[in-house]
Amino acid sequence: MADLANRDGLVDYAKSLDCIHCGLCLQSCPTYRITGLEPSSPRGRIHLMRAVAEDRAQATASFVEEMEFCLLCRHCESACPAGVRFGEMMEHTRSRISTHRGLGARLARWFGFRVLLPNRRGLKLAAFLLRLAQKGGVLRLLSKLGGRFENLRYLPPVPTGSERRPLPRKNPGRAPERGNVALLEGCVMPELFGKVNRDTCSVLNVMGYGCALPARTVCCGSLHAHNGDLDGARNLARLMIEDFEALGYLPVVVNSAGCGAHMKELHHLFEPDDPWHARSRAFAGRVQDLTEFCAENLDSANLGPVDEKDWPAPVTWDDPCHLCHAQGIRAEPRTLLSAIPALQAVDLPDSEHCCGSAGIYSLLRPQASGEILRTKLEALESSGARTLVTANPGCQLQWQSGLLRRGSEVRVAHLAEILASSLAAD
Amino acid sequence: MKTLARELKAILGQAGVIDDPTRLVPYESDGLALYATRPELVLLPRDTDQAARAMAVLARHGTPVVARGAGTGLAGGATPVENGVLISTARMRDILEVDPEDRFARVQAGVVNTQLSEVCRGHGLMYAPDPSSQMACTIGGNVANNSGGPHCFKYGATSRHVLGLVLVTHAGEVIDLSGPWVDPQGLDLVGLFVGSEGTFGLATEVTVKLVPRPPVVEVLLAIFTELEAACDAVSEIIAARLQPSALEILDRLTIEAVEQSVFAAGYPKEAEAVLLIELEGVETEVSGSQQEISAILNKHGVLSTRSARDASERRDLWAGRKGAFGAMGRIAPDLYVADAVVPRTKLRALVRRTVEICRERNLKLANVFHAGDGNLHPNICYDRRDPDEVRRVLEAGRLILETCVEAGGSLTGEHGVGLEKREEMEIAFAPEDLETMCRVRDAWDPDRRMNPGKLLPMRACMELRTPSPRA
Repeated sequence: MADLANRDGLVDYAKSLDCIHCGLCLQSCPTYRITGLEPSSPRGRIHLMRAVAEDRAQATASFVEEMEFCLLCRHCESACPAGVRFGEMMEHTRSRISTHRGLGARLARWFGFRVLLPNRRGLKLAAFLLRLAQKGGVLRLLSKLGGRFENLRYLPPVPTGSERRPLPRKNPGRAPERGNVALLEGCVMPELFGKVNRDTCSVLNVMGYGCALPARTVCCGSLHAHNGDLDGARNLARLMIEDFEALGYLPVVVNSAGCGAHMKELHHLFEPDDPWHARSRAFAGRVQDLTEFCAENLDSANLGPVDEKDWPAPVTWDDPCHLCHAQGIRAEPRTLLSAIPALQAVDLPDSEHCCGSAGIYSLLRPQASGEILRTKLEALESSGARTLVTANPGCQLQWQSGLLRRGSEVRVAHLAEILASSLAAD
Repeated sequence: MKTLARELKAILGQAGVIDDPTRLVPYESDGLALYATRPELVLLPRDTDQAARAMAVLARHGTPVVARGAGTGLAGGATPVENGVLISTARMRDILEVDPEDRFARVQAGVVNTQLSEVCRGHGLMYAPDPSSQMACTIGGNVANNSGGPHCFKYGATSRHVLGLVLVTHAGEVIDLSGPWVDPQGLDLVGLFVGSEGTFGLATEVTVKLVPRPPVVEVLLAIFTELEAACDAVSEIIAARLQPSALEILDRLTIEAVEQSVFAAGYPKEAEAVLLIELEGVETEVSGSQQEISAILNKHGVLSTRSARDASERRDLWAGRKGAFGAMGRIAPDLYVADAVVPRTKLRALVRRTVEICRERNLKLANVFHAGDGNLHPNICYDRRDPDEVRRVLEAGRLILETCVEAGGSLTGEHGVGLEKREEMEIAFAPEDLETMCRVRDAWDPDRRMNPGKLLPMRACMELRTPSPRA
């Protein structure tokens, strides 16, 4: 029916009709919670999309702003009784509003998404330069400029060169009697969280699995899809699927919730009659988050006490949005933590609320991101936890940076680190 | 509007006044998206003082004002009016005081219903009224509509739970009636204000009663192969002087929608209707009434009855019930939720009549309702882009209301009159009654700038009223 202003397909109009305007999503939305504004809520954004598609509103700069203000945490999908596929709608609209961006923004996006992220050497160089700038005090100086630069001070230190070494392509472990799994190393993970990747490998090895890594895949393309570069995401998806298929149709284990969520939904990138649609569906069927894989396959008899020096008790679990809302994984990490002997765990209030990381959102919108994190930090303090456990690099960075800024002693761990510590205990 | 916006920004700050045309669009409707009017401005005061100063400015400009909580209302009570501004309470969300010993709480109007209950939980208390939209709707909105909810069957609707209010009048004066008064002194202005749908003024702070959480709660799920048999069972439970804390009926179409959603709770998809019964109290009380209720259910041919296993299943069953309206989005883009009350002895006949009315007009109907209160919610699925369907829906809605009023019922159970049922007020009230209501309204708002055109029929207030001071 009415779809007048939507000639260039700015809005996924059919999906927008699923929203019945009940408003149950409002309190789930981090941007609504900080602003109290209807246009900054899921229902409001859908209302705007539909109004644009029906030619009752213009796709103005404010429209673009409200679309980009969203963190794509997808908490609203967990609250929506009508099953509105908000994430897909938002990715669609963001991919079509690219023409509304300025030249500078387009150049920066091209460099970030097309040059830097898919390129291991580029990422290595960036990490090296960032470490140099941190060591040499350049970031401290830059942060004095204030505004967007102020946060640079609280960027957790980039690990040393040896910490940043990549995983070996084959990691058979001592006795891979249960066979191999394929592992996604990730784009930023090896540079900032090399230890998490090594711990992931060692956990899988102790479980009896060897780890195989794809030859060429660097970035899965989730950042591209969330930020409106669907073409870039498609290119990376094809490369990744081929690359993983070459390893022999192994289960694909992912330790980053954002990547895993994207990899399970790759088929949304392709039209149903595109051969890549079926191929990516088959691929998605093999993808498992590390928490899922471990909850199913880890023998809890092997778990020992966690090293208190590294990870002081009590610990608490913070649900990464793309684990709980996008993948529906809630029980598994809690089951794993509760299986660790003598581990004192406490509940984190509102653990399903977004921490404000959202991929590169925290870099693009430090103020909003910080405000969203603030209530999370308050919840953490009220819980009394001394170690916060999560399973996504963005969340890990966000928490680390927020705690650093507060001068807090609370440690941040990836679940793989806790499991590795528990499995290493005698 | 430009000078008005400038004056208001001086009071509320840049962020407290929305005047960007694009950002105003999502405010054009509340939970009833059939009606849409763009506001000129949206104001977001942070407290009573800011609200009062803003209202004084609006009074000086003679600007119509509509208040909005979370915009979840289903009768268009928060639909903006032409050339008017919208005051949103979304930034007035502080819990000001919780007094567990005296069992009351004082909150700003924009506090979300469940948020209040969460805060009280630690004290073994709760705020009883629980509208289905409680995870989003605000206490201020609940006050405006005298909102209900499943548990109001036992505890009563919002008016029974409001102990005090802080109000801002049309002129920007603050009236402090914050109490808490269990029994108001003098004329009960608080009682008068609750349910006035934003036509008397703006409530900025609310003092509410907190009640103890029951020691034992049991939820029964009774499955029926016939909707009418479920209705009969409810009528008999009421007649038998039993007092469950909630009695809810969901029909087959509702169950199908809920079970496909994130709120799937394990409602049996093969049932024609389920009756959800909550019992609470001390152990012996609960088990005693459970036996009596089981006997009644059996008499009416219940297929099976079971108790929820634990707190988490009870929570799921309620979440499914409360997500029912939203879940209907799976069936059609829009939903018309009628809201009428009928004598509980006549449930069977009137539910049957609503089914017939919709069938005759080729409309898809789902029934989910507060059976214990006799509060029907015939949910009619439609698409607002289809004018003929909209016409048939509105016709069916009016006919259903007429039928219910004729049978001795009332126009609204808990959603308010708003825009939707304004004209139907004439079915329930004689012209003299409406004139009296207009006079009461004029006492609060002589300029008729507060939520104009809502609640009372246009004609009644235009023709029957005493001469307007501005006329």
